[in-house]
Amino acid sequence: MTPMVASSLAQDEPSGLEPTDIWSEDYSNEIFPWAPESDRDRQFKEYHTYETTKALMLQLEQENPDIFEFHEGLLGGVNARGETVTADTYEGWYYGYSSPWMKITGDVQNGEYNEFVGDNGNYADRHDVMIVGNHHAREWMSYTVALMQLEVIAFSYNNIGYDNDGDGLVDEDPWGDANNDGILDDDGDCLALATSPTNYQDSNGDGTNCGPGDLGVDEDYSEQFITDLINTREIYLIPMLNVDGNIYDREVFCPAPAWESCPSGGWRKNLRNNGPDLLPDFNEEVDEDCDGVDLNRNYQFEWGAPLGATVPLIPGTCTPSEDEQAGIANNDVYTGPYDTQDNDGDGLINEDNVDGEDDDNDGRTDEDWAGGNSEPETRFIQDLTEMNDDVGNGASEFKSTLTHHSYSELILYPWGHCTDCETTDHDQLVYHGDKLAEMTDYTNMQSSDLYPTTGDFCDWHYGVHGSYCYTSEIGTAFHQHEDDIDHIAVRNLGTGFYMAEIADNPRERADLGIANISQNQFIQMPDMVNIPSIGSIPVDMCVANGFAYSLEKSVSHVMYRTVQPTRLQSDYGPKEWSTTEWSMAMFEETTSTCNLLNGENGTVIRSNLPVEDTVSGQVHYKAMLGTLGGGDLYLYPANGEYYVLEVDYRADYGTLFGALFMFFLVTSFVWGGLAICLRMMLVDENEKEFSEAVLEDGD
Amino acid sequence: MAQSDQFNGRLGLIFASIGAAIGTGNIWRFPRMVGANGGGTFLIPWLIFLFAWSIPLVIAEFAMGKRSRTGTIGTFRIFAGKRFAWMGLWTAWISTAIGFYYAIVAGWTIKYFQLGITGGLTGEGVDTTEVWNSFLQNPGQVIFFQFIVICLTLAAIWKGAKAIEKVNVVLMISLFVLLFMSLFLSLWMDFEDGTLDGATFMFSVDPDLLFEPEIWINALSQSAWSCSAGMGMAITYAVYMRKDEDTVLNAFTMGLANNSISIIAGLAVLSSIFAVSSDPLATVTGGSSAITFLALPEVFAQAPGGSIGPFVMMAGFFLALSFAALTSMISTVELCVRNFVDHGYNRERSVAITGLALFIFGLPSAVMWIKLDSAGVAFPEFLEVQDHIWGYGLMFSGLFIAFTIWKYGYVRWKAQVAAGEAPGGFKGYLGVGVSAFRDDFINTGDNDIVVGRWWDILLYIAFPILFTVLMVSYFGDMIANTDDVWNPGNPKGLGIILAFWGVVAISFLFLNKYLIQRPIFRNIPEGAEVDISTLPGGDDDRVFELGELVPGFEHLASEDAVFEAEAV
Repeated sequence: MTPMVASSLAQDEPSGLEPTDIWSEDYSNEIFPWAPESDRDRQFKEYHTYETTKALMLQLEQENPDIFEFHEGLLGGVNARGETVTADTYEGWYYGYSSPWMKITGDVQNGEYNEFVGDNGNYADRHDVMIVGNHHAREWMSYTVALMQLEVIAFSYNNIGYDNDGDGLVDEDPWGDANNDGILDDDGDCLALATSPTNYQDSNGDGTNCGPGDLGVDEDYSEQFITDLINTREIYLIPMLNVDGNIYDREVFCPAPAWESCPSGGWRKNLRNNGPDLLPDFNEEVDEDCDGVDLNRNYQFEWGAPLGATVPLIPGTCTPSEDEQAGIANNDVYTGPYDTQDNDGDGLINEDNVDGEDDDNDGRTDEDWAGGNSEPETRFIQDLTEMNDDVGNGASEFKSTLTHHSYSELILYPWGHCTDCETTDHDQLVYHGDKLAEMTDYTNMQSSDLYPTTGDFCDWHYGVHGSYCYTSEIGTAFHQHEDDIDHIAVRNLGTGFYMAEIADNPRERADLGIANISQNQFIQMPDMVNIPSIGSIPVDMCVANGFAYSLEKSVSHVMYRTVQPTRLQSDYGPKEWSTTEWSMAMFEETTSTCNLLNGENGTVIRSNLPVEDTVSGQVHYKAMLGTLGGGDLYLYPANGEYYVLEVDYRADYGTLFGALFMFFLVTSFVWGGLAICLRMMLVDENEKEFSEAVLEDGD
Repeated sequence: MAQSDQFNGRLGLIFASIGAAIGTGNIWRFPRMVGANGGGTFLIPWLIFLFAWSIPLVIAEFAMGKRSRTGTIGTFRIFAGKRFAWMGLWTAWISTAIGFYYAIVAGWTIKYFQLGITGGLTGEGVDTTEVWNSFLQNPGQVIFFQFIVICLTLAAIWKGAKAIEKVNVVLMISLFVLLFMSLFLSLWMDFEDGTLDGATFMFSVDPDLLFEPEIWINALSQSAWSCSAGMGMAITYAVYMRKDEDTVLNAFTMGLANNSISIIAGLAVLSSIFAVSSDPLATVTGGSSAITFLALPEVFAQAPGGSIGPFVMMAGFFLALSFAALTSMISTVELCVRNFVDHGYNRERSVAITGLALFIFGLPSAVMWIKLDSAGVAFPEFLEVQDHIWGYGLMFSGLFIAFTIWKYGYVRWKAQVAAGEAPGGFKGYLGVGVSAFRDDFINTGDNDIVVGRWWDILLYIAFPILFTVLMVSYFGDMIANTDDVWNPGNPKGLGIILAFWGVVAISFLFLNKYLIQRPIFRNIPEGAEVDISTLPGGDDDRVFELGELVPGFEHLASEDAVFEAEAV
């Protein structure tokens, strides 16, 4: 063999592992476990349409009635502003559909029923989060990511310990950089792949090796974490807000394939008829020059400001576009018409716009607005927000909100309406934005630093309701090529779960996170636990002095369970375990101190796990802490994992005397009984013949 | 006519049935169950269920076989009626399907006996895991020992009842001796560390644990699976009973002997493990074959008495184990062969065919899916799956026997009411119907122990309740704790069990009508009282005595008559 041949062979040899060396065939080929391979849209190989989206949501509701409740629009009634509205209010102007949405929480059929919204599963102690996709019709990844979150919830809820990537490990790589080592691929499986001749480390082809969306990165999240989340949160998932626009974009404006017919544009707005005739005017074709309202410019907070930003020169007017499909549009961000009503009936018009201030000094705030909230879709969001009041204090329950958009790979936080301005929660918003940016490898920035906007979703949610609100700008195109759907959706999957996680008290979470408090607390590792020779097993948790922990059992406790040999143990196979249900043990304060992970002083709180002395096997344990500020779901160890403590049999084997007594009892019964039986047989005359026969045989 | 085949003596039958009942379940499953279920506490429900479940069923089996004088198919055909012959086929199939892989397991025990006498398990640097893995991963070795087991089994049953009897007597007596030897050595070991804690644990009762349903369910399962009750073994061996045999006393003897051996084996295993293991309960409750082939050799290597002790312990224990396995294997094969012979097949040919089938259908279990568990210990997953599927099927054989008894009682009472011999109404049913089987087939006058009303109560009330509890708890556990439990592709799921059962049950139901077209020949000893006129089989014009010439089937009877005449 010549050296040349040898070197060319060497080049062909991969210098590391191939995906199938590590993972299951399905995972290596990005086949998701919740649907058959041939189901192209559920496999995220094709886009869902409005019809398939709704059908999927109905199917998932039917299959998971314990956590999903499907809705379209709201039922109506008298809203928070005193207006009487009906379900029709929320139907799109043109095709007449209300936005489909899913209420998601554990045991959704219980809890309070909300007459106006029409949903069950309203619990005062569960934190609400709203996730909205597809404000803008052409931004197809924005509803796709929401649908993937729905699939993952349906598949993962109570499916504890599922091995997502088929490598034999479970929950080894959650979203983000779980161990804070600066590497997203926590379990290092992607980094073990070959880079030549095929670069398996960049499976999504975005130029970054082992970045989010690549195979093996953040791929094995914890189903326990998702289950805990669903049981402690109410998620309002609205994948496709702008149904009218979405159908129009797909069926009329951008003939399939959309990524070819509309390479850089597409239909953005809803289908409001902006003239010449008043609605309803169903026969009229859509006037592509002027019709439609940009839903993400139609929320009321600081509606109409700042003039000259990305709004038409004069709000409420239309300047016909030149070439919409090429993305050249003058009217794409039409905010909706001016409000010409006297909303408060005081004879003045628009004297107190929505900005959180009492502009006219009449003692009421934001009661006569200049515009916005004119569209069925935005009215739906605003009424849902204002009428979803689980605790009856008149305020929105949504402490965190997320809206998916595309494109440009950004995470945006308020404000959008002003430049050179900051919110009062700026540092905290940056903190969570950085976390979202970390798990997506996107850029975190203030919305107005991209360009100023007016009347957008997040300004309204944060400005009016104090909700921590983020806009994710997904991907690199409005109509992303269908080959890219799956890995882009995967890349953005974690954000919805993160927002749900922080929905308890995002500000406190950020403060604790910034001060590195929650991360430095810990529960004892198994090798540090002292198992007493008898009685309950104490497990200590080291909490920071600045952490206002609650001792309320429902939010602060140790969950534990035992793992023992199962009765189903096969006679020929390996040891099989049977796991008991999780039980809860509360924490007690102690006077002991401890060292936090960063070396600072902390306080010990202790939980005594009432594990029986006769248990021989394993005890699993994990802690959850809640704060006096209402925060909860601070999990130790993180992400719904648990520690495994080996426990030997600790009870007495018994006393020799008792055992002797029992021995004689059992043996006299069994052996004695046997002796009696044999004797009865032997006295039988025939047996004499038998012994003779045996003797004869012996001869 | 000297055409029937029978045991020489009562002890022969007893030894054969004890041999059938005692298997690896007594020696390696029982200690694990005691360990996992609170030691001595477990013994209480275990003993209760011996009398509440196992013995009543064995009594029924002996009574049925003694009357029908045929194997399982014929027994169900005669007792439950033509339409139910498939139940006998099911019983025979389950036993044979278990035999397919049981031959391999028996082969392991012989291999370990061989290792024991050649010193392959003792000495410096012997890693029992390595020994086990390299054996299991060597298909040639596993098949070789499987082959040996099948040859030994066939040799034992080739000549029929009298040979079976002799082999069982010898093997069982040796088993007792060997186990006592092991027990002596292990008690010595346990005593050396001053505590006898293994024995103490095995006989200490924790009253609180008696209120744990789990312990009762496990005790029931141990009693049901280890005693062979309801599996058709007793039916088969009863065919060879002499005419005036006492079925009740036999059943008690067999049940008590089975539990006696369990106690000896349990004490030997637990004492030796407690003597040397740091966490004995974790060792005992480890996977079952793991205790036997990994933990015990390690433990036995530390037996006292220089090099003699470990040698005696190792060789003696595994020889006892292989005897237990072999005698169970014999009954398994005989159960199958008896059904062939009943249908007029030549015995030697039947034995050969059964042996060949055992070998061929056992091969996949010997070589397929040999995997490593998380601790790096090899285990045969295909074999385990077979056990998973057919092990639970055994319970249904027991249910079929109970069903037959219930059916007989009802039909018999109805007939007597029609003839004006019995009162009608529910009271009449309770008085005549419920006790009909017992009156007609158990208390025949041959038995020293007269069975009272308690047996009816156990069969009619306790059995259905216990059966339901057992099934619901096992399948409930499986459903609750197994991922993807309904997927027939999941080897640990319920779907695979139901799929296999479904296929087998449906094809047996279909086969039933062909099965009952064939004549069946009863193996009746001279002068025995085997009247079946009150049974459905009494109206079956294709039930004959061995040696009778059946028009259209003369070739069967003649061939057989010659063979059977030679045999006796």
